[in-house]
Amino acid sequence: MPGTRHASAHRPRVGVVKFASCDGCQLTILDLEDQLLAITEKFDIVEFAEATSNRSQGPFDVLFVEGSISTPEQAHEIVQLRRQATMLVTIGACATAGGIQALRNLADHDAFNRAVYPQPQLIKSLATSTPVSEHVAVDAELYGCPISGSQMLELLTALSIGRRPQLPDEAVCALCKRLGNPCILVATGEPCLGPVTRTGCGALCPSFGRGCYGCFGPKEAANSASLAAWFGTLGQSDEQVAREFAKFNVNAPAFRAVVEAKR
Amino acid sequence: MVSAVEPKTYFLPRQDLAKLLDRLHDGGRQVIGPTIRDGAVMLDPIERVDQLPVGWGIDNAPGKARLVEQHGSRVFDQPPGPSSWKRWTYPPRLTEFAWTDAAETDAAPAPRRPKPVPAKMAPQAFLGVRACEIAALRVQDKVLLEGPVVDRDYAARRRDNLIVAVECAVAGGTCFCTSMGTGPEVRGDFDLALSELDDGFVVRVGTDAGRAALEGLTLPAATSDQTAAAAASVARVRAQMGEPLPMDGLPDRLMAAAESPRWAKIAERCLACTNCTLVCPTCFCTSISQRSDLDGDGASAERTWDSCFTLDFARVAGGNFRTRVEDRYRQWLTHKFGTWWPQFGSSGCVGCGRCIAWCPVGIDVREELLAVAPPVAPAADPPPIAPVAPMPSIVPSALTLPTPTAEGPRPMPWRTVEVLDRRRETRDVITLSLGTDDPGLLAGRPGQFVMAALPAVAAPPISVSRFHPDGLELTIRAAGPATAAIVNLERGDTVALRGPLGRGWPVELAEGRDVMVITGGIGLAPLRPLLDHMLARRDRIAHIHLAYGARTPGDRLYVDELDRLAASGVIDVAQTVDRAGPEWLGRVGVVTQVIDRIMCSCDRTIAFVCGPERMMRATVDVLHERGIPDERIWVTLERHMDCGVGLCGHCQLGRYFVCKDGPVFSLAELGPAFAVEGL
Repeated sequence: MPGTRHASAHRPRVGVVKFASCDGCQLTILDLEDQLLAITEKFDIVEFAEATSNRSQGPFDVLFVEGSISTPEQAHEIVQLRRQATMLVTIGACATAGGIQALRNLADHDAFNRAVYPQPQLIKSLATSTPVSEHVAVDAELYGCPISGSQMLELLTALSIGRRPQLPDEAVCALCKRLGNPCILVATGEPCLGPVTRTGCGALCPSFGRGCYGCFGPKEAANSASLAAWFGTLGQSDEQVAREFAKFNVNAPAFRAVVEAKR
Repeated sequence: MVSAVEPKTYFLPRQDLAKLLDRLHDGGRQVIGPTIRDGAVMLDPIERVDQLPVGWGIDNAPGKARLVEQHGSRVFDQPPGPSSWKRWTYPPRLTEFAWTDAAETDAAPAPRRPKPVPAKMAPQAFLGVRACEIAALRVQDKVLLEGPVVDRDYAARRRDNLIVAVECAVAGGTCFCTSMGTGPEVRGDFDLALSELDDGFVVRVGTDAGRAALEGLTLPAATSDQTAAAAASVARVRAQMGEPLPMDGLPDRLMAAAESPRWAKIAERCLACTNCTLVCPTCFCTSISQRSDLDGDGASAERTWDSCFTLDFARVAGGNFRTRVEDRYRQWLTHKFGTWWPQFGSSGCVGCGRCIAWCPVGIDVREELLAVAPPVAPAADPPPIAPVAPMPSIVPSALTLPTPTAEGPRPMPWRTVEVLDRRRETRDVITLSLGTDDPGLLAGRPGQFVMAALPAVAAPPISVSRFHPDGLELTIRAAGPATAAIVNLERGDTVALRGPLGRGWPVELAEGRDVMVITGGIGLAPLRPLLDHMLARRDRIAHIHLAYGARTPGDRLYVDELDRLAASGVIDVAQTVDRAGPEWLGRVGVVTQVIDRIMCSCDRTIAFVCGPERMMRATVDVLHERGIPDERIWVTLERHMDCGVGLCGHCQLGRYFVCKDGPVFSLAELGPAFAVEGL
């Protein structure tokens, strides 16, 4: 029976690494305080610089990767890490879509460099911030800025007992409705990205009366163009509409298309 | 539940509404009613009159619902808000069942089994139920209570409902109950009905329970002026809604529009966000998800509201029946306004307008219905809507499930069975022999299936591949984690089964006929009990032809059995493979080529087919060419199933639930619903 037969098997070797990111997703893992002991009983955490000074270069049964690929070194390193990982899971908006730093993908990277740094020639960054999946094969993705602790726990549980991870790709709206939140867009006319955004956050912002920022990125079949057009009928300018979509997941294709069309 | 008594009309002065509210709370009842929360009128628990939306109205339009302060003392002058009573009768989250944890005893760990979680709730009074919402409760009653399997939690909640209806005094811009024939007049199925006048309420009594709720209030009888004012008020609402939509023949119009280009146009706007379905008071679809800790302990199955607009909704192992948004929208609209009629005897829409107001981009079903299925000039004699085809009497067991009652045990319980034997059929297919003395499981018929549950893992539907005196066999391919967990069971392990479910093959129709059994790969599994059945009555059947295709010789099931059957000559066995090595001396090619060569008296042949829909479509074409009509071609369909008993909605197809009306259908029953992309 699952959960009984697999329990005594060897503990999978797990690593957590980061690229261009704020470490918030790693902190979300550490925030699973009540579960950490149970997790370490099931998984052998061999690399997690945010949490332990024990280090490992691999190999890993499961490697969690936070952060986007933003420099030439990172582009090289992710390929090396992929070779060490049986299963590679990207976590968070940076790793899955390029993150907030991917705003530069739609701007002049060199101009940014010159404006910010006194000696821009010392800076070795790529012109774009890109998701890990543009560089290596990815086996699973946890979305969000930051990720959801409960989704991380669901993935670990699914790995532990051998079930399909239950990570729905429906809109935030579905949870809003189950929770009994009236639709902010309909009730107030304020913009909300919930209808095109993947669920997972617990409908956090709408539950506090604020429209969704799209932290979890586009849902499957996200019809951003239709929602953007509706924002227009509510009186938003093209620039305002573009700003709604130009956030943590600006580089996700379904959101980026609106930004490029409206800005 | 509401039973009718002689109505009588009273007048409740406005200042006495609080007294009525107190009476509704009597006996520990929870009162649910409208209240202003988060910028909308929501249906929440109500303790005091000042929680009601006194002095508020709503400006409703497609994609828009704004509160408007009206500064009066009137209470109920709003069209329906985004929450509906189903939140309280059919909660958005519910623990369907919990698993017992593995309890170590002296001997051995006790097998884990699902145990039902009883519903716990105070009886409820619903205050402010509109005519359209009474109709919606009726619609959900039909779906969830009329079986063959009843939703026990819903039954318990509905049994204790006290319905205090309110007749509408304003129509919202999205209301269209007059088109659906559900309102605005409140006509029945209420305990009390209020009509709001400026100085109070005309109160109608619908039941003894309603009368009991008025006891001690010493209300005067309503005057004729008061009842006339109430009638005039609701008449104004009817007029406000204007000309009803042309609904004549709508189900047929919609079915005829299955290939309309309008679906793709709607998909350009539709967000597939699920709002329309989740605010709809009749949409009942749910999904089961698994909860457990990292060990798989503390496992439970949680039921949540789901929607035919999600991608996961129609997913099956290895595919998805509705990936395109236009297919999902078509599914919703054609079911709600079309196939709901033959399936449940009414429209699925009650005209409350929630899906219009609460669509984030203002898609208006009234407009889309007219565009997709425009009214046609009235025919001299419009064809009546065909009722659901009755189950053929040849399969009585599927019809004689125990009559469900709210008090009784759940009629489809989970049974724990033990693995007696495990045999490998192919590289990735296993047959489990399961032991049980449960008479229900043993009484299964060829073509029926079971849901097979293990703790903390989704329960997939699996066809029974043999019934034997001590239990049954399941032949399973590890297509995903859930089936892999079952495939990995070993002798002595246990698994929980719900079933046997659905309608099996119409075995009696084979008597006196030539029979063609046509299948491929693992599709032979649900046909094996049919072969068993016919072989046990071999003298009553003319010729039996089995046409069996597989990808490679190693992908064939039950090879020894087939070889024995072929050698014995009691049936003709024709096998073919897509590709083979030098060791294969048989046919190479698709199964339809085999059917071409079968010598049969096609005027008396019945065909039983199982395989992927594309294979079945091709097979059916060949059978048609050979002159076998739809009535004598039977297929078994695969769809996503979460419950297996006609409650979760996932397997809805045309006028059927594949789980309870099928999975075996004749082509004549399926009609245009067979093998259509996106249905």
